[in-house]
Amino acid sequence: MNRMWKRIALVLGIILVGVVVARFFILPRLQPHIFGGAVIQSNQQAPRTEMISADGPVSVRDFQGEVVVVYFGYTFCPDVCPATLSKLADSMAILGDRADEVQIIMVSVDPARDTPEMLKEYVTHFHPDFIGVTGDEATVNRVATLFGVVYEVAEGTEATGYTIDHTSTVILVDREGYLKLVLPFEGSAEQIAGDIEYFLG
Amino acid sequence: MRKKWIIRSVIPVVLLFIAVGAFVVFEPIQVLPRIRISPGYLLVNQDAETVTSEDVRGDIVLYSFTYSGCGEECIDIHNTMMEVQSRLGEVDTGDVDVRFMTISFDAETDTPEVLGEYAARLGADPDVWQFATGDAVHLENVVKAGFEVYYQEHADGDFSFAPVFILVDGWGVIRGEYRYQTNASDADKIVRHLDVLGEEVRNSHGAASLAYEAAHFFLCYP
Repeated sequence: MNRMWKRIALVLGIILVGVVVARFFILPRLQPHIFGGAVIQSNQQAPRTEMISADGPVSVRDFQGEVVVVYFGYTFCPDVCPATLSKLADSMAILGDRADEVQIIMVSVDPARDTPEMLKEYVTHFHPDFIGVTGDEATVNRVATLFGVVYEVAEGTEATGYTIDHTSTVILVDREGYLKLVLPFEGSAEQIAGDIEYFLG
Repeated sequence: MRKKWIIRSVIPVVLLFIAVGAFVVFEPIQVLPRIRISPGYLLVNQDAETVTSEDVRGDIVLYSFTYSGCGEECIDIHNTMMEVQSRLGEVDTGDVDVRFMTISFDAETDTPEVLGEYAARLGADPDVWQFATGDAVHLENVVKAGFEVYYQEHADGDFSFAPVFILVDGWGVIRGEYRYQTNASDADKIVRHLDVLGEEVRNSHGAASLAYEAAHFFLCYP
């Protein structure tokens, strides 16, 4: 009797281990990752154009070996930018320790008003590791164009000053510096974290 | 007993190979590669209205590049665009619009009026086809650096450039580049590709979108 129970326990144990192995080690590898954004085959590397941060010159390509996530916004931005930046901060939280291998950069589309110091204060409000960069109008225009981003001064109220309409997509640059993924504004923090994790490998 | 075991373990592997082989050979799902990001732009069209890359987000756009002063060397470009325009009825892109955008690199000469006359002369359908140009420095960023279409202005005001057509999807990702003039008509190829893109747009929802992503993965990322 005792022996039979031992056998049953052994079989149950093996099944349990099998299920755990299948669920956590085999299934995730068989299941393709479903991207929140559009993955690009891309032979296109991010531009090396140098921009200015509060802590000195920065280019998107300074972080090779890390996944770089680039967003275009501005500090006076009323709604879209704070929403996106807090979503990006949430995705960093989801990534946990792996967030160390990710650099989030916001490029200002309002170089006339945003100083490097204002940008630093603004982006670090969302996450201490975020970097905010700006440059002269020509530099920002060139970088934005190459990231598929366009911006345009729009009317504002007297209180807020002018606002700027701009492309709200987030672009992911892989460890080798290639533009690899376009994430829509609507994507959730979980989706963004999942997509970043895929490119972390 | 042992033989059975070997046969049993080999069968799934063989089936998998056949499945992948069939996928590659018969291409039940065709996809165009996602080549790279299409540049962002802010230009002015033939109606003196601002037109940006955001205005056409969600639409499939066919781009061509020229200038109104271009003579004989541009006949092929226009004929190709006109042929695609006349054959748009052949492609079904569901509820996604197909648009044409011809970007002129002669910002100085090609004012909205000039572009308007030019469009009318060619027979462009204003509901589908826009003509636009913009600030010279921005144009360099957009056309040369972004679309990778090279042009050079000469002292007499003429431009030399390579004829290129570029197909961009609703995500703002370049899906087709037609750079080399061969004996085969570019229009045939473009119409065929519009059809493939249309099919993807119409079908890649829910579970089918997984199949499309798999097709992208197998066929476009070797």
